[in-house]
Amino acid sequence: KHNYNAHNIPTFLSMKYLENQFKAFREKTAEAMPSSDWTPFEINRSLPPERADIVIVGGGVMGWSIAYWLKQKEKIREGVRVLVVERDPTYSQASTVLSAGGIRQQFSLPENIVLSIASADFMRNINKHLSVLNEDPVDLQFNHSGYLFLASENVAQIMEENYKTQRYVGAKVALLSPTQLKEKFPWINTDGIVLASYGLENEGWFDPWTLLNAFRRKAISMGVYQCFGEVTGFKYTTNSMNTAEGNKLDFQRIKYANVQMPNSLEYQPVECAIVVNAAGAFSGKVAEMMGIGLGLKDTIAGVPLPVEPRKRFVYVVHCPDGPGLETPFLIDYSGVYFRREGLGGNYIAGMSPEEEEPDTSNLEVDHQFFQEKVWPRLAHRVPAFENLKVKSAWAGFYDYNTFDQNGIVGNHPLVNNMFFATGFSGHGLQHSPAVGRAIAELILDGGFQTLDLSAFSFQRIITQEPMLEKNIV
Amino acid sequence: MLKILIPTFMLFPTIWLVPGKWLWTATTAHSLVVASASLSWFKWCSETGWVAPNLYLALDPLSFPLAVLACWLVPLMIIASQNHVAHEPLTRQRTYISLLVSLQVFLILAFSAMDILTFYVMFEATLIPTLIIITRWGSQTERLSAGTYFMFYTLLGSLPLLVALLYLLNDTGTLSMHTLQYIQMTNPDTLGTMLWWVACLLAFLVKMPLYGVHLWLPKAHVEAPVAGSMVLAAVLLKLGGYGMMRMMVVLGPLTKEMAYPFIILALWGIIMTGSICLRQTDLKSLIAYSSVSHMGLVASGILIQTPWGFTGAIILMVAHGLASSALFCLANTSYERTHSRTMLLTRGLQMILPLMAAWWFLANLANLALPPLPNLMGELMIIVSVFNWSSWTILLTGLGTLITASYSLHLFLTTQRGPTPQHFISMDPSHTREHLLMALHLIPLLLLVLKPELMWGWCF
Repeated sequence: KHNYNAHNIPTFLSMKYLENQFKAFREKTAEAMPSSDWTPFEINRSLPPERADIVIVGGGVMGWSIAYWLKQKEKIREGVRVLVVERDPTYSQASTVLSAGGIRQQFSLPENIVLSIASADFMRNINKHLSVLNEDPVDLQFNHSGYLFLASENVAQIMEENYKTQRYVGAKVALLSPTQLKEKFPWINTDGIVLASYGLENEGWFDPWTLLNAFRRKAISMGVYQCFGEVTGFKYTTNSMNTAEGNKLDFQRIKYANVQMPNSLEYQPVECAIVVNAAGAFSGKVAEMMGIGLGLKDTIAGVPLPVEPRKRFVYVVHCPDGPGLETPFLIDYSGVYFRREGLGGNYIAGMSPEEEEPDTSNLEVDHQFFQEKVWPRLAHRVPAFENLKVKSAWAGFYDYNTFDQNGIVGNHPLVNNMFFATGFSGHGLQHSPAVGRAIAELILDGGFQTLDLSAFSFQRIITQEPMLEKNIV
Repeated sequence: MLKILIPTFMLFPTIWLVPGKWLWTATTAHSLVVASASLSWFKWCSETGWVAPNLYLALDPLSFPLAVLACWLVPLMIIASQNHVAHEPLTRQRTYISLLVSLQVFLILAFSAMDILTFYVMFEATLIPTLIIITRWGSQTERLSAGTYFMFYTLLGSLPLLVALLYLLNDTGTLSMHTLQYIQMTNPDTLGTMLWWVACLLAFLVKMPLYGVHLWLPKAHVEAPVAGSMVLAAVLLKLGGYGMMRMMVVLGPLTKEMAYPFIILALWGIIMTGSICLRQTDLKSLIAYSSVSHMGLVASGILIQTPWGFTGAIILMVAHGLASSALFCLANTSYERTHSRTMLLTRGLQMILPLMAAWWFLANLANLALPPLPNLMGELMIIVSVFNWSSWTILLTGLGTLITASYSLHLFLTTQRGPTPQHFISMDPSHTREHLLMALHLIPLLLLVLKPELMWGWCF
């Protein structure tokens, strides 16, 4: 068989063959040229960079908020190299996306109120901060429906004091008597209610996924590096010094953070100057990698980071005759809460467990809990909820601060370059913009500038002075 | 000559035979003795015009300041690397110091070479230990790209240089500097001769570096470990200047027209790289670009070919070598403590390390050419001679001086003043070794204020 084409020229001389050969040759030389990426060793592109100035452990809303604010505050392009390390790209266990997404100013500590006001302000003007050129604007679906706290006889006093604090700091809250309550929300059964506190502005709920993605999109557009991997250890140097009384203190400085790739033994030591622990419910484990809490008892090194995961359930129910569109985020003094979800008569309900905490080894939902504990109380408070149908449910972790249920912000006294932004015990999402800014100021400006969060420092854990919220639930 | 060269060669047995725990002490002491002995080269005999002349190696007032600088820098490099190399296995430590010493050997031979081809071979030979230091002991992935840039930029210039030298050898029959200074070069004004002129100088312009071909320098300086940065900034760049000055002898009257674009490029480079310095976020990168800026001034001073120009160039080369190396050592002290070279994160150090702040201040003042330091003397002489050549250059050089002052002050204020970050609570205090290092850099600089004739070259 002859290798002839239509024009009766031998194939190996035809133009097409020559062109193909030339193309192959060109591609081969292009591969070998210095400008190409080819190396004899295959580069694993999912590895983090070998060096980053600031490594943020945890890619939840807190981590990405800190990354965004760090880039926002560098006054020069590529001033700091920020790396966010997140071990689960699907965010299947992350507290951020499993949250009910509420934001309220009704706290008893002025610091918490101020944080919420600042964050609400950020979220109302979110496109001023987080819009990216040529991309869709951010729509947080912020429902400004307010929070409604209900107080019984024995906790009404606390509610009044909290109301005074909130008003003093600048939150717009109103106290309602049972009659006023019945007038405004006729579907409430005011049995047992002595006082109610209703947030008039900057309270409600929003979509946590959107906030997380908005922070992430903006941070990546500003040059933040992202890596999917797990921080499994740190390499650090220890410096021993003696105090004035002669006690020995070991100061540690993290030099490398070991990031292990998913489903692999491969790990990359990332040389870093600062590590931010924003790992949420799992921050305690990250702190243990540095030996925080593993020292002798009654020493600073023996004080662990008191953050552990606590499982909370959220149930989605459908009730056609339910409270309707004006429903606030209602929190009853018995501990049960619910809010409207969407426009189709669905509601989200839940409750903090009273006696025993659910098992945190998985995110399985306990439906018995709803049947036995939540539904009776819900139905008692809102009679329309007698006939509802549970549509679905999920569970999420709180990054629960077992010491005083408030956030820990700032660096550890002994591990110089590890900063904490964790332990918010259920109100991390709503404080994330303001806390992110505070941490960025702490790192880049050397101290808090806009909001003074020094009350949240690790010192209070060492000196055992809790900052407890005087909640009514 | 041999009384310095043989002890330098003997450093190799010292390195490899000394027991491990005495390695750093012994090598530092030995190289310090060699450095002190090299000061004997300052005794210049004006009758012969050369110091320690023999057929192959001799020093003259142009080369002995640079050769003494090369010898002086080796103990400083060893002191500076002690901390970060000490954690490695012993053999690797010995290899590292051997590379530094081999660099010293090549540099002494390069500066004292009497045959231009010997100089060329030594010039190329210095590339190899430097490349090994950068790619093996540098800390980032980018060091591979830095090594590539470093090698190939220099080689781009030196192959034409080899061809030009061989052509010259063919033409004049000798390449010995003893003889070449007496021949009359009458170069015809043809394209070939112009290309030969460029070929002679290109390698040195790349090494200086001249502004258009300077890209290798920030990469190499940033990725190299501290000893690599020190030797690069202090001595290797001066190889380019020295080579240019030697080649000027044979380049004849052609230089009067051909130098024009290169002078302009050099002067423009002062301003451009100075402005880049103001926007740098990386500490070592800022110091690297400032090196390019100063060397631009040196290049223009050499290309002007006046006595004051040459004198200013030599003084500025020596003074810049000491000051720039001092700045790299300071950047390294900060890097060893915080593991970050980012200027935003290593701020407010004066509160924590006040004595080091004093050294920072002095080194930055040297960099911005504060009187009475020799940096100013060199800069002034070059500026004056370039102004004599054309009055318009005062705009460029004046603006360049202003920008130099502003980025040096920016460097000082950012790293030392300002709010101290929270993560610096406990930091190693300044080691005596670091203070010694800085003193050994800056005391010679201060002493040179008192007797600048040592560095004036043979034109004064």
